[in-house]
Amino acid sequence: MQADHVHTHPVNFDPTWSEPDHHEPAAEQGRAYRIGIGGPVGSGKTALTAALCRAFRGELNLAVVTNDIYTTEDADFLRRAGVLDVDRIEAVQTGCCPHTAIRDDITANLDAVETLEERHPGLELVIIESGGDNLTAVFSRGLVDRQIFVVDVAGGDKVPRKGGPGVTTADLLVINKIDLAPLVGADLEVMASDAARMRGELPVIAQSLAETPDAPVVADWVRSQLPVRTG
Amino acid sequence: MHTVALVLSDSRFPGGGHVHSGGLEEAAARGLVSDIRSLGLFLAGRLRTAGELAAIFAAASVKCHEWSTLDEELDARTPSPAQREASRAQGRATVRAGRRAWPSPVLDSLVQATPRPHHAIVLGALTGIAGGSSADAALTAAYLSVSGPASAAIRLLGLDPFAVNAQVTRLGEAIQAVADRAVSVAGLPPADLPGPGAPGLDLLAEAHVRHHKEEVRLFAS
Amino acid sequence: MKAHARVVAELVDGRTVLRELRSQSPLTLVPHRGKPGLVHLVNSASAPLGGDELDLTLIAGPGAALRIAGVAASLVLPGPKPALSRFTVHVEAAEGSTVEYLPEATVVTQRAHHAAVFTGSLEPSARLIVREMLVLGREGESPGRLTSETTVRRGERPVLSQRLEIDSLIASPAVLAGRRVLATDLRVGYEDPPSAVAGEWCSLVPLAAGGSLATALAHDAVAAQRMIGLLNRSG
Ligand SMILES: Nc1nc2c(ncn2[C@@H]2O[C@H](COP(=O)(O)OP(=O)(O)OP(=O)(O)O)[C@@H](O)[C@H]2O)c(=O)[nH]1
Ligand SMILES: [Mg+2]
Repeated sequence: MQADHVHTHPVNFDPTWSEPDHHEPAAEQGRAYRIGIGGPVGSGKTALTAALCRAFRGELNLAVVTNDIYTTEDADFLRRAGVLDVDRIEAVQTGCCPHTAIRDDITANLDAVETLEERHPGLELVIIESGGDNLTAVFSRGLVDRQIFVVDVAGGDKVPRKGGPGVTTADLLVINKIDLAPLVGADLEVMASDAARMRGELPVIAQSLAETPDAPVVADWVRSQLPVRTG
Repeated sequence: MHTVALVLSDSRFPGGGHVHSGGLEEAAARGLVSDIRSLGLFLAGRLRTAGELAAIFAAASVKCHEWSTLDEELDARTPSPAQREASRAQGRATVRAGRRAWPSPVLDSLVQATPRPHHAIVLGALTGIAGGSSADAALTAAYLSVSGPASAAIRLLGLDPFAVNAQVTRLGEAIQAVADRAVSVAGLPPADLPGPGAPGLDLLAEAHVRHHKEEVRLFAS
Repeated sequence: MKAHARVVAELVDGRTVLRELRSQSPLTLVPHRGKPGLVHLVNSASAPLGGDELDLTLIAGPGAALRIAGVAASLVLPGPKPALSRFTVHVEAAEGSTVEYLPEATVVTQRAHHAAVFTGSLEPSARLIVREMLVLGREGESPGRLTSETTVRRGERPVLSQRLEIDSLIASPAVLAGRRVLATDLRVGYEDPPSAVAGEWCSLVPLAAGGSLATALAHDAVAAQRMIGLLNRSG
């Protein structure tokens, strides 16, 4: 196939060997920290995004990228909640594949993040809300620095037990809507112990946005993850 | 065929292609494409118009590196701003992926001249950088002009993937013919390259953008 | 049949005068008596016929204003032997000049094989309007083959370069969506729409290098004309 092609680069077939990449974005430190919020449909991703926006208002220079298929819906919600200016929200189209857009081909999301960074110099935090998807959908490390996976008790207490990359590998698992647990007969203790078993050391936060609309525990976790700010 | 053609035409190539339907979403929303037969007609027309234009500029960009000239000439052959935007969005995305895969001063010069280059030009540039030929680039561009919309049709209309795949396969000879024609003109000065137009696609693309502001569209184009 | 018609307009004392006006059958140019710079294009025979090669050259000197207006639709017919007919229009517009080329519809009848070529070469401050209406077959008739090519450059930059081939694929939504009439209206050197205006089957778009293009696909010429009219007004 490449008979007449002369290689000018040395080729190394050792998969563990990595060539220094001269094309890595130069000022990685300068860019905004990116947190992905994923999870099944309706689990409370947008509500958590809004809560974090409220929590960080006046504290961080932040913006949001939404992957929801109803492109204006989430944006409208955030706008109505009065937590974010319109020009700090970018919606992306995912071509019917929400997981592809956050994992296999992160182009559209990267474009959106860059657009926001250009529009708001000094941007410190970008929250990327994935479209609602299944338990196997996780963010690529090429797109986000940390990811939060949101499940809710309304889906039943089996969800953490089922596992899947979202539940097992996310940097933070949020079990949301615990106020509804008695109504749906979900056993929070079972959920917590299943989650701990599936996730090992990784943190789990159980919360109710109905009861604590500013998600203080999650906000604290986010603060603990942010790079130390200089100047 | 050089492996670069396989990599670039692979639907798993992370160049942002999966969010573009090439007018299929708008056509489907209007009921113009609803089944395998109408999809076949859509794809055949797309191949002969937008596909051929992309193949011509991809083939030309393998050897010709007058980036600004190629950019202006392709702009003049793309009257619809929505189509220009879709092309540049994919071009930019392909550069992002291509810079990691085939780092090269040639690519740097392309980005310097045109920070958001047209997709077809990037395809040609990357093919050339990797050691591929104009024929590789033309075939890649021609194939991509139908494979993306075909996959969008599966996602939007729930069409039988085997039937859609067979439909794309049936276009094989036409794809090759488009690529051959593109290669035959690729050496012309950029100003003399043919500009096959696609009034239908242009109108669908503009309507897609307009509808996007009013209701839900799942694809960027 | 080969024919070459030619108009050269110049600005003399603030008025456009026709320095040269050459008709050659079947291309007949008739200057309007009252309006300087207005010339009617009359296709004398039912031209073009297969095998015909017709050329029309329009030249506007600095500041001149030339308008060529069609009188009736031209019917493209197959010739006695199967051969291509070709109609080439070439415009050269100098600094500050205006050329408007406004022919009536071109109807491509069954078995005709026609090429319509338009090239425009404009100085940066020149203005151009080109209207084109292609009708594919008379009512109920399937069309012949048509290639339409438009290339306009302003100064060094290409403004528009489009080639349309009408063949078996016109039914494709990507091409003409089975519509019989394609109308376009190109304007260069006028105020461009700030952004695209689009309807279902029509749009008015700003071109990348300046200039704007209105396009309509319709089932009949009247509808196409109406869409173009609406677009140019709303732009
Ligand atoms: N009772 C209760 N309702 C909640 C809680 N958090 C969110 N909700 C409600 O759950 C519904 C869905 O929340 P969203 O934030 O839109 O969920 P989402 O994950 O963004 O949904 P998609 O984007 O559609 O996947 C909304 O009606 C919220 O008001 C909670 O802690 N308790
Ligand atoms: Mg949401």
